[in-house]
Amino acid sequence: MSVTDVLATGAEFAPVLIVLGSALLAFLLDVVGVRRLEAVGGVVVAGTGVAFLLVLADLGLGFLGPLRTIPAATVNAVPAAGASPLYAFTSFGLVFQALFLVAAFLVGLASLSRDSHEAGAPIFYGLLGLATVGMLLVAVASDLIFLLLAVEVTSLATYLLVGYTRRGARPLEAAMKFYIIGAASSTLSFFGASLLYGAYGTTNLYRIAAVAGGVGYPVLALLGYGFLIAGLAFKTTLVPFHAWAVDVYDGAPTDVSAFLAGGSKKVGVFAFFLVFLGPVLYVHPGAPGNPFSGGPIALGPIVQLTLAVLAVLTMTVGNVLALLQREMKRLLAYSSISQAGYILLGIAIGTSPALAGATFQALAHVLSKGAAFLVVAGVAGLGVGPLVDDWRGLGSRRPLTCAAFSLLLLSLAGVPLTIGFVSKFVLFSAAVEAQGYFVWLAVAGLLNSALSVFYYARILRAMYFEAPAGGDAGAPPLTSRLAAGGLGYGRAAAIAVATLAVVALGIYPQPVLGPIQAAATHFLGLGA
Amino acid sequence: MIGLATIAFAVLAGVAVLTAVAALLVRELVHTILWIALFFVDLSAIYFLLEAPFLGVLQLGVYAGAVTVLLLFGIMVTRKRIFSREAATGLGPAPVALALLTFVFVVAAVGELPSGPSALQVYAPSDLSAALFGTYGPWVLILGIIMLTSVSGAIYLVREGRE
Amino acid sequence: MTGLPEAGFVGLSAALVAVGLFGILTRRNFVLLLIAIEIAMNAAILNFVYFAAFAPTPGEGLAGQAAAVVLVGFAATEVAVGLAIVLALNRAKGTINVAEATELRL
Repeated sequence: MSVTDVLATGAEFAPVLIVLGSALLAFLLDVVGVRRLEAVGGVVVAGTGVAFLLVLADLGLGFLGPLRTIPAATVNAVPAAGASPLYAFTSFGLVFQALFLVAAFLVGLASLSRDSHEAGAPIFYGLLGLATVGMLLVAVASDLIFLLLAVEVTSLATYLLVGYTRRGARPLEAAMKFYIIGAASSTLSFFGASLLYGAYGTTNLYRIAAVAGGVGYPVLALLGYGFLIAGLAFKTTLVPFHAWAVDVYDGAPTDVSAFLAGGSKKVGVFAFFLVFLGPVLYVHPGAPGNPFSGGPIALGPIVQLTLAVLAVLTMTVGNVLALLQREMKRLLAYSSISQAGYILLGIAIGTSPALAGATFQALAHVLSKGAAFLVVAGVAGLGVGPLVDDWRGLGSRRPLTCAAFSLLLLSLAGVPLTIGFVSKFVLFSAAVEAQGYFVWLAVAGLLNSALSVFYYARILRAMYFEAPAGGDAGAPPLTSRLAAGGLGYGRAAAIAVATLAVVALGIYPQPVLGPIQAAATHFLGLGA
Repeated sequence: MIGLATIAFAVLAGVAVLTAVAALLVRELVHTILWIALFFVDLSAIYFLLEAPFLGVLQLGVYAGAVTVLLLFGIMVTRKRIFSREAATGLGPAPVALALLTFVFVVAAVGELPSGPSALQVYAPSDLSAALFGTYGPWVLILGIIMLTSVSGAIYLVREGRE
Repeated sequence: MTGLPEAGFVGLSAALVAVGLFGILTRRNFVLLLIAIEIAMNAAILNFVYFAAFAPTPGEGLAGQAAAVVLVGFAATEVAVGLAIVLALNRAKGTINVAEATELRL
């Protein structure tokens, strides 16, 4: 396939091209002198919105059928034996595309409300669009180099996003730390990919699976997977590779933190799914010399156990450190680390219900944590300080905002009637179903959820049951030039949409959970 | 029998490791740049030895040329005095141990490879370009998007202008 | 052409990635960190080149050479972004020592 062929078959890449086009348009508008927030931001937000609808159509959701850009047969096809495409459209990848677009759309929409028309709008929206392009490409990858390069599009865009305000040293320091960690981890990933290439003579994930079925897993390949795990664990903020995340989320502009926690972290999650589930653990379970399925050294159970230990460690460390935090952004950042642990649990268990649970958990995290960061950014714009204690008494002064924030926190804690409960329920029941020590993983997850309730409850108590330090009269005034209670229409709309989705999917998850379960089942069957 | 190519490789490999270590350990930052430039040139010679002339030239142009200049430029602009020193940092046992462990692990894979001399595949540059812009065209397209992202963001970060 | 030992190349790239890792873990100056990362990156590129050279079929080998070309381009781009961040930070603050960047704590 040549470059022109790729361009000619642009239809299936329509969502990617639309987002790419909108990002370029944002830069072009800047060049010709149009720097209005509404114009620049509107283009990218509209682009992600349209792309989202197209992806939903490709997933075969009801009335959007006519918008389909990929034939249904292609989406759920199993690649022919011997085929080694660089990319493949699977329903599981499309689910993640939709998830990435939701994150980009919400953050873009919320950022339309800024307290002034800052100079940074074009670059913010341009980079947001380009980061989204990288995420969309990750979701269709079926080749290691394609995957890692697409991850790098997102990484480079987000390093720059963290520092885009150029105001003060703090965001730029966060950007520098993010860059060093990110560049080092991507180097490890590429080194791992090169070893896998040496071991199997191909970088294609399906081919690797097929060749591994024959020749087994030489030391070179195992080393390659080891380097890949380390590189991807950095991107996914797994303990012990998590230390950078809190600093970066704390130092970045809060809207960017929302995008990092809600969106770009899921890139690492999807890469994990792609690299480890499809080809490695489940292909050729009975092949001779496949250490992942018994045989002389039963590596499969060992890999699973390692991932399970990492998952429990990540949950627990994230939650315990969150308990100790007094600053709102750092607390949410640590809670974000612990959420990555729940998602990893799904990979460790590795059955199709667990995969669906992990994906649904990722969606829950995009909606709840992303929107929670957006609320924090909005409230900071009102003049409220960075500490949890600064939120005292806010419940009566900003009832709607605080009600939405409470619902998002309850969802993160996993309280019934929210999406967070449903996702954890699916995930933990998959763990119980898988029997063995996985039952204990469910117990660990439950205990961790209980632990997390403490710090979410502390925020709720501060908002509703405590008075500001100097009494109601002594509280600093909440001032903002923006409409909609000082949040601005865009931010208010983004928070409202996310909160409604959190509750609606908590009560009636089936319309979304059903397709995710089908996609997960198909994904696990891909290489079989 | 040890061939000429093997001897050349042994020398080049030794120089590569030595220059890499020297680049990280010398105190003067400008000397670091000299060592790393030598390292890049040395690797380029290894690519020529491997009958991959296109990559050898690319390594010379991009790494020994552009990247070295970028790094030198970074040192010059960010330090008031150009002959500045790296803050003294201990060599702590843990990083050394981790690095050694990595080395041992990767070398452990050597046993699986043929230890004797093996024949080299030689690729015509035309075949490489056909592969690069044919089969592997999507990689190049993504690289294009990466460069677009970097350039637009980097220009914005470093340009003077209104805040 | 006299043959080359494939095993020697594995040793070289292992040594280079170890040196790179060591640099990433011990150096605190941003430019030195960049150099350490580039050394490790060169180990990955070297891997692709020699695995391509020793590949059993030309088709397999071309994938490795193509990957090496793309990675060289990517690494240069990455360095450029790093320097942009450093220049902006240098202007805002006047230090590029990662240990001195103390406004964020762990």
